Amino acid sequence: MEIIGDDKKLRALYSEARTAANAATPSFTSVWHRAQARSLKPRRAFNLSFALVTALLVLTLGSLAVWSMYSPRSNQPREAVNNPSTATPATVKSPEKANDKEEVRIAEKAPTPIQAPVHRSAKPRVRKPAMQPEAQTIASNTTIETWQSPTATLLSSPTDGLFKSMPQLNENANEMKSFLPGRSNDKEK
Amino acid sequence: MQFDPMEIADLKAELERLHSASFGWALNCCRRDATEAEEVLQTVYLKILEGKARFRGESSLKTWMFAVIRKTAATEYRRRLLRSFRFTADTDEVDDRVSPFENQTAIFERSEAQTHFQGALKELPRRQREALHLVFYEDLSLREAADVMGVSIGSARQHYERGKKKLRESLTRLEMGYGNNWGRQETPSAV
Repeated sequence: MEIIGDDKKLRALYSEARTAANAATPSFTSVWHRAQARSLKPRRAFNLSFALVTALLVLTLGSLAVWSMYSPRSNQPREAVNNPSTATPATVKSPEKANDKEEVRIAEKAPTPIQAPVHRSAKPRVRKPAMQPEAQTIASNTTIETWQSPTATLLSSPTDGLFKSMPQLNENANEMKSFLPGRSNDKEK
Repeated sequence: MQFDPMEIADLKAELERLHSASFGWALNCCRRDATEAEEVLQTVYLKILEGKARFRGESSLKTWMFAVIRKTAATEYRRRLLRSFRFTADTDEVDDRVSPFENQTAIFERSEAQTHFQGALKELPRRQREALHLVFYEDLSLREAADVMGVSIGSARQHYERGKKKLRESLTRLEMGYGNNWGRQETPSAV
């Protein structure tokens, strides 16, 4: 058969290719059944890509929240400078101390101008209730010098005198023996 | 949403009739890889069964089916490409894989004219190859080819003409024996 024209030649070449492809075509039934089997198969609930994207999103939102929480705020320092009286004295409890169990209040010294903090919590500050006048007086009278460490009693012992006195080099041996525990001191007698 | 069983039975008969042509088109969309083409066709049938691809009668069934195959093949290709980027071992596997189509048609592929022709087709841009395949292999009109390709008829005509010109040049260069016969005679039957 004589082929005339480009299109017919191309058509002939394509026809040859089609004949070959038809011979290699998988049967419709097998492909259809496999597709049916796939449609009946339960889908995997966990999608790795979806999980990764979700995790990334959560992480981004979390870091954004943390950043906004610790970001400096301009209005808070100004407020603190304008109202220094709002600064309240701190209260320290001394539960260990046997003699003085009452609260020891520390009056803060004159408030110094507050510089802008580097990090400040964004949590809304709960305003402490204003102090009672009586308590305010006590706080103003006591100073930091009257404060005693709650563990100061642990430092004192009955043998304090022994440790605080030093034996002299010009004392004789008997006198020096008096420093030994369980021996009577002749000198004292 | 799934098809009605009765509807599926009717559609199945139609799809069976089109199966051979669908596979040929899938082969073209998958760069002559028969394994990939079969997988694509399977995915298309799955889409139909699950109701993801639904024929609404806006075009002929063949045109609709070919458009679904084309879209699915492109998606599968992108997926494979991504997978090969993630696991380089997979790429080697794909490259080393011997297509059963290649085995079965080994004798046919040995035909010099066909080898040259397939080589020339591979050199063509995808759109041009698609236009030529739809017109010459599937016997579709340019309008139908444009519908399948998702382009305007003017654009499809451009791809078709340029593809034909390039193919002619390639075949002449490869000296297929048609050298003197590759004239400029045109048959507007396809349009």
